Amino acid sequence: MPAWVRVRREDFGLLFYDTRSTRLTYVRSGESLTPPPFVGARRTLAVEAGETQLSTALLRLLDDLVAKGLLVASPAE
Amino acid sequence: MPARLSSSALRAPVNLTWEITDACNLSCSHCLSAALREPAAVAAAGRELDFDQCRALLDELGAMQVFQVNFGGGEPFLRDDFLEILRYAHSLGITTCVSTNGTVLDETLVDELLRMWQTAPVYLQVSLDGACAETNDTIRGRGTFARIMDAVELLSRRRYPELSLNMVVTRPNVGEVGDFAALARRFGAKTRLSRFRPSGAGCSSWEDYRLTRGQLLGLSGFLGDHPEILTGDSFFSLTPDTRRTMGLRMCGAAKMTCAVAPNGDVYPCAFLCDPAFLAGNVARERLSDIFRDSPVFCRFREAEVESCRGCDRFSVCHGGCPAVAYFLTRSTGNADPECLRAVDSNPADEAARQQPHKEVD
Repeated sequence: MPAWVRVRREDFGLLFYDTRSTRLTYVRSGESLTPPPFVGARRTLAVEAGETQLSTALLRLLDDLVAKGLLVASPAE
Repeated sequence: MPARLSSSALRAPVNLTWEITDACNLSCSHCLSAALREPAAVAAAGRELDFDQCRALLDELGAMQVFQVNFGGGEPFLRDDFLEILRYAHSLGITTCVSTNGTVLDETLVDELLRMWQTAPVYLQVSLDGACAETNDTIRGRGTFARIMDAVELLSRRRYPELSLNMVVTRPNVGEVGDFAALARRFGAKTRLSRFRPSGAGCSSWEDYRLTRGQLLGLSGFLGDHPEILTGDSFFSLTPDTRRTMGLRMCGAAKMTCAVAPNGDVYPCAFLCDPAFLAGNVARERLSDIFRDSPVFCRFREAEVESCRGCDRFSVCHGGCPAVAYFLTRSTGNADPECLRAVDSNPADEAARQQPHKEVD
């Protein structure tokens, strides 16, 4: 996750905040994604354990977040 | 932002306004916090939160994952430990914004603020109430325009990353909004226009400073033509449909934001720091409990301005600003008397006859 982005869990999913623009992005992700803490050396958005096979919808959502600059795509480990 | 999502309560505020001190070196005639600085009010409210209490509140804000704290006052930089408070907020990943009158900014202080950007953004809003000394000084005090512009020049010279000049739009300065925006641009700053509300000292100056019907309509048009002008969601009840997708379309008090007074009292919004809306105190209770469970906040979240439901602009403003409605009509359940529809359809300038109520029954 980029250093300038904060995200937290809400009932509908995730709420992103871009500190550069103070813009909010509401993401209806349900329980499928777990946000990292605000601060820390390595902040990564985690996919819930049950989501072993990423659904098309979830992949599209992640791509959209990358396109908006709210996530950085990184190679799988 | 989808209205359905923003109308339901979030788990925590998105941002919080924290009036960190009562102290101020100016006496602006529209100041919403002026009443809090009266000796009787200070004595009744008790002392300001000390540093340990401030740190405890920030710890809780960090745990609640509040994204941004907007510091105001008084003049925040007059508080001795304010930089330490800012640093602590940044260490928790919280973005900060400081509303300052600019008169105490010097090179050392600006350098320190610039250093803080390495950890987290610290937005600066410098208050200026006109595009010329004559207008500004009428409102903020003699000689203040020159002092504020010294600070703006300094910040511009140092290329401060996120700087805005903030003007509370009143009858004396509304004719200068275009010049004001040009002035801000000249110094690389954004323009932020805030709504004048009849709270604090604004109660006394309401008659002299409130905008006329024609001025409200003119301002609405200006904002429509200038989407680059920031409003801090001040004017959602007045702005035209062209700004429909920009920011909130409803009051965010108690839903997305709330306010903390210097002594730790919690209110739905900085413009509703009135005993009728006191929801708790962070020195005695957890903010998360106050935000989620206090009767004041729960009532506020559930309130609907029923009389506006049939209005074609209901989806744009949801009844307007409850603070203005409260201080002019003594009920947050009434429509904002200065909303675009009310102003547009009321040539008699009804708001002119409404006087703010200074005390609660």
